[in-house]
Amino acid sequence: MKQPKLWWFLSTPQLLLDEQLSLQSQEQQQQPQVLCSSEGQRGPYVVQANAAAHAAGIRLGMPAVSASTLVPELRQRDYDAKREAAVLHRLAQWLYQDIAHIALYPPQGLLLEVQHLQLLYGGYQGVQQQLQRRLRRLAVNVVLAAGYNPLVARILAQSGCSLLSAEREQLQAALARVSIASSLLPAQQQQQLQDAGIVQLGDLLRLPVSELGARFGRAMISYVAQLRGELCPPQQYFEPPAKFRERLDLLTEVASWQQLLFPLRRLLQQLEAFLQSRQLSVTAFVLLAHHRKETPTRVRIAFALPLWRSRDMQQLVQLQLERQRLTTPALELSLHADEFSERQASTSNWFPNKQDVHYRQQEERQLQRLFGKLQARLGEAAVQQAQALTDWRPEAAQSWQAGAEPALSAKPEVTLPRPVWLLSEVEPITIQDWQLHWGPERIQSGWWDGHPVDRDYFIAIDSEQRQGWIFKSQGAWYLHGWFS
Amino acid sequence: MAHPLQELVHKGWVWQGREAAEQIAPEQLQDTGWSDLNRRLGGGWQRGALHEIQVRQNFQGELALLLPTLRAQEKPCLWVNPPAQPYWPGLAYQQLQQAPIWLHERDTKQALWAFEQALQSEALGAVVAWFAELDSHAVRRLQQVAAKHEQLAFVITPWQTHSEARSYVNRLQLEWQQQQLQVAVVKRRGGWPLPAAPCGVTQLLPKRRRLSA
Repeated sequence: MKQPKLWWFLSTPQLLLDEQLSLQSQEQQQQPQVLCSSEGQRGPYVVQANAAAHAAGIRLGMPAVSASTLVPELRQRDYDAKREAAVLHRLAQWLYQDIAHIALYPPQGLLLEVQHLQLLYGGYQGVQQQLQRRLRRLAVNVVLAAGYNPLVARILAQSGCSLLSAEREQLQAALARVSIASSLLPAQQQQQLQDAGIVQLGDLLRLPVSELGARFGRAMISYVAQLRGELCPPQQYFEPPAKFRERLDLLTEVASWQQLLFPLRRLLQQLEAFLQSRQLSVTAFVLLAHHRKETPTRVRIAFALPLWRSRDMQQLVQLQLERQRLTTPALELSLHADEFSERQASTSNWFPNKQDVHYRQQEERQLQRLFGKLQARLGEAAVQQAQALTDWRPEAAQSWQAGAEPALSAKPEVTLPRPVWLLSEVEPITIQDWQLHWGPERIQSGWWDGHPVDRDYFIAIDSEQRQGWIFKSQGAWYLHGWFS
Repeated sequence: MAHPLQELVHKGWVWQGREAAEQIAPEQLQDTGWSDLNRRLGGGWQRGALHEIQVRQNFQGELALLLPTLRAQEKPCLWVNPPAQPYWPGLAYQQLQQAPIWLHERDTKQALWAFEQALQSEALGAVVAWFAELDSHAVRRLQQVAAKHEQLAFVITPWQTHSEARSYVNRLQLEWQQQQLQVAVVKRRGGWPLPAAPCGVTQLLPKRRRLSA
């Protein structure tokens, strides 16, 4: 026989407000705050309120007008279901570190499949502890309820009944006490049930199924079957996105990048959780400061080495932002990352003569760290390492790499003398000023890519006794490099 | 208040003989590759020190002078604001072991910051930096960092007209005369300045013989 599945439903009745509170200072959190929704016809009313607002006598469902009359210093903000759903998504991502099967019930609920986790975390207690450990790090009010069916768990949690039990009888008893108003049935059917004198789910469950079907239609049969645990509709499980997109409401206008560093820390923690659950590292991301009207300011942050710990990223981001200026105040901050790499031990070779792999890796990391630090402040192009390419054209025989990638920096094979300096732009010269000492070396190449060269190279000495690398091309002379 | 003499020492106008008498362990000295120069500098370039090389003009032989030093480095070297791009094929031809790292930053303040960071890193074999001029404060600071992290660093700069003191450990002046690179030691550890003497850098460079046209 198949083992009965066990579900938990995590309900977060004031997720959006909790999220906003967690960004505020202790002092701000103590002020009464509410979120008001203007859905429906009766004008804006309170949907979420913090502890201070509750203490001041504000109740959920109260019209916004009476709430502000009751507490004049009340801070009101609009409720936004979409944004709350985004927060929920983030929460799912956070929990995904421990729990593989999560279904989203936006805007305020998550369904967790815990049957398999019991093995992993050592029984029911273990799962509970693990989850609570995770949740404790988030300042979110949750109601967590268990169920032998997703719907049962959901009804219990959303009716505010925190019951974590694996005992079916206990759950059924709790379910029977839930009022029809919390049944999650459509309002019309709730009305019909109440008119028929059915006020609790227990009353409903006692009725014969056939009779219910005849009176309330097929949907009701399936509903009751779910409550009884006879039917379990398939769940659509959350899959972590391959891209990281997070947005943070700053609540006030922020005028400089320096002030954004604190909220940014949260985004980086989320990024760390994202990376950790996938065993990835990030090499670059984009920060966007959203303004009231203007197009968002974009800042690309790149790291010389792949990172995943938020405090490592924090340090480098801080350095990179020191160079940036925010022209207009920002209201929101978002972080977009899609350049990830698998975490792996690097195997490339810096020091062929040193056999100790560990030693080599350490040196390599030190170099990458230096690159990271310098590029963070001066820009990615400011520090580059030469890489040899096989091309006859002198200017194409090396390129500059912004990252320290030791695997690429193989030593070039050179048999003919080459200068230690190369001018980025060749310089026209008067040949009378030069004394030819060695040559010619004919370099004819590049006809295949539209940059053909046809040159005769000489080593020559200028009037200051400096050895230059000069060439003749189509009757004219140019200086291309220096030997000393 | 500091003793007036102390102030002079800080300014670098008065040197303490004690420092000169200190023995330097051989592993702290980097062979310059030129026996004559080694002797004149008391054994070679001192690691954990900043050395100044003054040139009449760029590409005059200063790199040839440093080639043996750069060759000896197992770790890559950083080039700060060089006058042209270092050319890895040419450097490999001169038997350098690691591809050069090029740092270019126009703002002197930022470049100095980067120089200091580079001196602190253990990832580099040596740091060679080009600066038009460095004030005594900057030099003292860089010298301290180089000493603390035992990094070998060179500053290549035009011939200085004034003779104001700087905390470089060695100060050299290069000039090309009589088919030879002449190296004068303007300042050195534990000794008086030395007049110009030829250094055989031409051995490392392509042969000088005029092509018959």
